[in-house]
Formats: sequence, C-alpha cells, structure tokens
Amino acid sequence: MNALAPQAESEAVVSLSAACKFYGSFAALKDVSLDLRRGEVHMLLGENGAGKSTLVSLLTGVNRLDGGDRFVRGRPAPDLRPSDARAAGIDAVLQDFSLAPALSVAENFGLGREPLRGGLLDHGALHRRTRAALDRLGLHLDPETRVETLSRAEQQLLEIARALDGVPGVLILDEPTAALSHDESERLFRIVDRLRAEGWAILYISHRMEEIRRLGDVVTILRDGRQTGHYRLSEVTNERMIADMVGREMDHFYPQSPHRPGPVLLETRDLRAGPVKGVSIRVRAGEVVGLGGLVGCGKAEVARAVFGLLPTESGRIVLDGQEIADPSPAGLLSRGLVYLPQDRRGEALALGRSIAENMQIEVLADPGYTRVGIVRAGRLRDLTAQLMQRLGIAPAVPGLAVGSLSGGNQQKVVLGRALSRARRVFIFDEPTAGVDVGARLDFYRQLERLVAEGAAVLLITSDLQELVHLAHRAYVMHEGHLVADLPKASLNEKTVVAHAFGDQTHQGNTQ
Amino acid sequence: MTEAKSSRMNSGHSRGAAGSLVDGVMRFGALPIILAICLVVFQLGNDRFLSPMNLTNMSQQMVFLLLIALGQMIVLVSGGFDLSVGAVVALTSVVSAKAMVAVMALFPENDALAIAAGFGTALAVGLVCGLINGIGVAVLKVNAFIVTLATASIFKGVTLVISQGLQVPGLPRTFVYQIGSGRILGLPTSLVMALPVVALVWLAMHHMRLGRYLYAIGSNLRSAVVAGVQVNRQLLAAYVICGTITAFSGWLLTARVSSGEPLLGGEFPLNSIAAAVIGGCSLRGGEGRVPGVILGVIFITVLANGMDLLRIGSNYQMIALGVVLVGAVVLDRYRAARAVR
Repeated sequence: MNALAPQAESEAVVSLSAACKFYGSFAALKDVSLDLRRGEVHMLLGENGAGKSTLVSLLTGVNRLDGGDRFVRGRPAPDLRPSDARAAGIDAVLQDFSLAPALSVAENFGLGREPLRGGLLDHGALHRRTRAALDRLGLHLDPETRVETLSRAEQQLLEIARALDGVPGVLILDEPTAALSHDESERLFRIVDRLRAEGWAILYISHRMEEIRRLGDVVTILRDGRQTGHYRLSEVTNERMIADMVGREMDHFYPQSPHRPGPVLLETRDLRAGPVKGVSIRVRAGEVVGLGGLVGCGKAEVARAVFGLLPTESGRIVLDGQEIADPSPAGLLSRGLVYLPQDRRGEALALGRSIAENMQIEVLADPGYTRVGIVRAGRLRDLTAQLMQRLGIAPAVPGLAVGSLSGGNQQKVVLGRALSRARRVFIFDEPTAGVDVGARLDFYRQLERLVAEGAAVLLITSDLQELVHLAHRAYVMHEGHLVADLPKASLNEKTVVAHAFGDQTHQGNTQ
Repeated sequence: MTEAKSSRMNSGHSRGAAGSLVDGVMRFGALPIILAICLVVFQLGNDRFLSPMNLTNMSQQMVFLLLIALGQMIVLVSGGFDLSVGAVVALTSVVSAKAMVAVMALFPENDALAIAAGFGTALAVGLVCGLINGIGVAVLKVNAFIVTLATASIFKGVTLVISQGLQVPGLPRTFVYQIGSGRILGLPTSLVMALPVVALVWLAMHHMRLGRYLYAIGSNLRSAVVAGVQVNRQLLAAYVICGTITAFSGWLLTARVSSGEPLLGGEFPLNSIAAAVIGGCSLRGGEGRVPGVILGVIFITVLANGMDLLRIGSNYQMIALGVVLVGAVVLDRYRAARAVR
C-alpha cells in the first residue's frame, strides 16, 4: 500500500519511512511513510485526531521519532531539530500563526534573522527584502504596517513569505483556506501552483475535496494514526478517499431529506442592521433554507441581528407569527429559536468547563430543572446522558473539559445545548467550518432528523457544496443585499457564485 | 471535578513517582502538602502552636478573612475582582457603630435592639456598596479592576468624612462581649455566626443556578450571552453578594475590636485575593471552589499565626505573603497551561 514506484519521480526533499510516534502507550502515528518530492503537491487528508499534526511535527523536527526513519535530502536525519529543519528549507505555516501582532510587517518578516550592518539592524535592507518577498506573492504592503491591522489572509501570506525566505525546500500548509474568502483562496492556489513550478515540495492539509482535486498531485490519507491510503489523485475517486478517511463506505455524503414545507416560522422584513441593508427572508417548518454569499456580504449579521446580538436599525423580525420587538438571546431561546455561532470556541463554549456544564447552561432557565432554587442534579444528568448518546459524543465522559475535545465533538456539545430545550427554529452559522469529515456527516444526520421532526432551519454557509446539496432553497447575498432566492431546481454552484459576486454573467470562477 | 478528569487524561503521558506527584498536585493543588509542612515547621518552632488555645485563637482570627475571601471568590469566578472589600469593611464598621450608638441613646436598656439595628445597617451598607460596584461592572461595562479601585477610594473617603477620622466607641456590651469575644460550644461566636454564610455560598456556587451561570460567565462571557444567560443580572448579584458578605464580616470585626474603626480592613483586598487564588480560583475567571478557598484562608491564617509565634516581625510577614501569592499565581498558570494541552 505504501509503495509507490519511486523511479521516474523527482527527488524527495524529506521522507519518512515507517515513522512512529507514541505518547505513553498511545500510538499517535504508526508506520507512516511518505516522500515530499520537488515540484509535487502532496495532499494530506484525515479527520481531526488522525495524526496529521503529529506527522507535521515529525517533518519539522518538533517531535522526536519513536520508530522508523527520517531522511532529509537523501541523508538519514534521526535527530532533526526545528532549527535544522529550517536550515534545510523545511517550513510550516500552521493554523495558529506565529506572528507578533504589535510588530510591523518587516519586523515580523525578519524576526530571528535580521540583516545587520556593523552590529546594528539594517532597516533599509530588511525593508527591501520584505517588500521583495511580499511582492513575489502579489501582496503589496508597506513594511511598516503593524501586523494586527492586517486581514487574516494578509497575515497568512506574510507567514508564507517568511517560510519561503531562505533555501527552497518544503512548504507545509495546514488548512490554509479555512478562514479565507473565495477570492483569497484562489490567490493562494495560484501561489501554490507557482511554487510547484519552481520546484518546491508542498505538503497541503485540507478537508475540502474541491481543493484537493484542484491542487494535489498525490494524496496520503491517515486514520487513527495509520496510513490508510496513498494515491495519485488522477487515479482515485472521492468516495475512495472519504472511505479511507472515515473507515467505512459512504452511500450518500449529503443526506437528501424530502422538502415538505409547513407554515412560516421565521421571517424578516426589510431588516437593516450594520452591514445588512434591507433583507427579507422566510423560513418554513420542515425545510432547510440556505443563506450564501461571500465572506463579509452580511449573511452572518442577518443571524446576529435576528438573535439580538447586533442592534437592528429598522425592519421587522417575526417568529412563529409573532413580531419580536426587542430581540434578545434569552427571550428568543425561550421562544424556541436557537442560534449556533460560527466562532464556537469564542462564542459558544466555556472551554474550561465540562461537557455537562456547557450542555446544561441553557436548560437551567427551565423551571423543571430547579427546585426552590436548587439545581436538580439527577434530571440534568439524565438529560446530558441522553443528549450525549443522541449526538454520539465519543469519550462519553460528561466531566471532560470542553477545551480538550476535537472540533467535531465541540460542535456536538453546542448542538447538545441547542437541543436541550424544545426548539422549532435553528440558525446555523458555518456549522461545519473546522470540523472533520466524520463529524460533518454526523452533523448532516442530525440536521436531517431535525427537519424531519418539523424544525425550520436557516443554514448560513460559505461551503458551496453544502449550500447546494443540503438546502431546499437558498438565498444569496451580495454587499448587504439579498440578490437571489433560488429554488432547488436552479440551485447549483455556478448560479450561487455568480450571484455572490453580484453579476449575472457567470464571470466568477466556479471550478 | 473537571480538573480531576482532565488531569486523569494527562496522567497517561507522565509516568513514575514524579509524574504521580505532579498529578496529585494537579488534582488537589499543592496546598495540602504545603499546609502540612507549615504545621510541622511551626510546631517544631514553638510547641504552643498546635495547643487547643492557639487553635481556637486561629479559628477566631480566620473568620473575617474567611467570609471576605468567599465573597471575593464569587466575584473572581465571574471573571472580576473586588478591590473595595477593605474599604467596605471600614465603612460598615463606622456606619453600623454609629447606628448602634444612636439606638443605644434612645433605648439604653435594650442591647438586642441596638445589635439588630447595627446588623441591618451593616448589611444595607454592603448591599449598596456591592450594587455600586455591580452597576459599574455590569451596566457601565467598566473593567472591574478600575471600578473597585475607584469605589475603594470613594468608600474610604466617605468613611473618613462620616467618622472625621475618629473611632466610634460606646458599643453595646453584649455586642462586644458576646459576639466579639464570646464562645458557643467552645467555638468563637463569630465563627458560629459565619458558618451558615459559608454553607449558603457553597450551596449557591455549587448547587444553584447562580453558581452555574457565574462559572459560565467567567469562563466565556460571550458564550454565556449566546446561551441566553442574563449576564448583567448575574454579575450584579455577584458584586452585591460579595459586598454584603464583606459588610457582615466588617460588622463581626467591629465587635472584635469593640469600636467603629475608620482604618479597619486595609489588608483585606490583598489577603482575600491571595486566599482565593491560593485556594484554586483563577484570575481569569471560571475556576475555584468553596472548599479550596476555605483551605486557602486556613493557610494564610496559619502562616500569619505561625510567624507570630516564631516572633517574625510583621514587616517580614508582608514579604512572605507576597512571595506566597506570586507562587500561587505561577502555580495557577502552570495548571491552566496543562489543562489546555
């Protein structure tokens, strides 16, 4: 399975052979082999916890190898340290950037390798080098700009520029498009294409099939620390890759729930709030209504305004036939509407507290769960056990701190809280961002069940496939305005993208 | 419970005796060990340390800090601070003493009435002070550090204006002799009076909605809002409870010192935060339990008393307390770093 014919392929810059990494008796990685070759984009696919980060840490010398061999440019490198890796041209751009926000672009770029002249910093040389490196990536920034004022995409490019500065070798990108808009992702793809042409070896971690297809030459798939697949992308189907990743065949990736719309449960009429400039939508019982558009088009703010997190300037919000005059989270939650924010760690979870506490926090407002002010621990415990089972939270330990869970499980905890009380309307904002494929499928199943039970669902998503496949109909926003209301028949990626870019000429790149 | 579980998760990585010691420290904190060492050292240094008389003495000394540290804990859990506790103690002392003296003048024979008036006045003072702090933090959304630093100055100023910097003597005899230095079943009266409050705080923080909400708010305020917690109301409650408990403590302390004292309580802001943090509260909010804080208070009391018996001067004691506090904060950060991993 591991053996790709090595002949006729370019030289490997870094290789692992039967690499193992143990934490105590737990094998984070076992017998994994891969070669990162010059001029090749190597995709790495696996659920959260499959061992991707461990693999990266072995390639960059952050972790010691507990078994197997490591080669750098053909030479054995059993004791590679991070500084050695950097000297050999192996650099990683991880999801948590290593930039100092209060320093300037140039200072960050040169951190640790400042050009000197007579023992003093040579600012002129540093600026010239920074500007040249950024220009190469098509990013035209003043080197004096403070990093905290840059967008996430710009910060990422700065990280990449820093990684590219020095010996050409290996560039490792960990889910680089996770927080990028469509345009920004395209720019990144072009950069990856160019680096490949320049002979860089690239390891690219991604959950997104379209991206894997668009960029990859070869793909390695990990599951539970084992290598379950290794293919040339031209010779493998998506179904095969997903099956290797989750360990079972997938009949239907996106569930197809029947569209049986009931009465209108949620309605906005000419809603104006912040970037939202007059939006009217309707969501009926028993349907999933998509809300798409580019990042920053105001789709997320529609939900925040409805939920009372963003002050409404004008317009009306109607829930189940009743106008909500003064929306507030507490009020809406008790009336059967729940909003699950995009920023789970920042806005939906108390990371230091337990699964149980996070799931129970909302239901405490329900008089059935307290008696003369005392929390009814037994009832709460039963409810928590029931929700954990329904959602399939993997280590079924209610006392575990939420911060220690994977993205998928964290999402299940938020969903558990949302399901702790009777609900009729759900608003999901980017529900599958940052969760692995297995957890994503679990979420789709839950969504299917909710709709079958007659819930009204507003699904806000930047994932085109998700929007097209899950929604029964979809709205598209552009610069704060609703520009399309697409029934299932005309709901396809091309149309959505065209509307999202605000033009009808299908100029937008839809892949 | 949360910490216990997560440290059990980590225990797979660290092996051996050193590892299991680290795990034990993670689970229960280093406090029991350090406390045991202190007890041994102080007993060796002065064999009167563990005598029944000194133990009763310590239990009398710790009552005031115990109450204030529990109030401080409530605010710390919510993600805030209360630096005004010392000023509230002084204000309570002066105002409640004046009230008692006034009632005494009207009904000279009725100590009980005067004591009741003093008690009611004290709680009212605490409630108002807590409400002011709470409004600053919850409604005006000013940083708790700044709010309570400012109100500390205000309360202190009001105290000095009311008292003109003078003690308020002439308190009811029953108040001074029964509550201030009396005994019930061999225990100091003030300790007996404080115990129901300790039980109530424990109940509120660990078995009532308020506690659940405060831990959620302190851990992540934004997620508490999204989960429908009415954050303002809960924060207001936290500061009001802290202020009221502190005032109760100030009233008991007034009985102990037998007069209204405008300069009372200056050590409480530092000592209460120290006791709470040593007892497991996090300065980042969302952490800390009542039993831990009680242990923290016992530790600080033992430290002060033990050093007294070893004839270590109060100047050196201040240095020692500062060192202990820094140690506790470092331990707290280490614990947080391990828990996050």
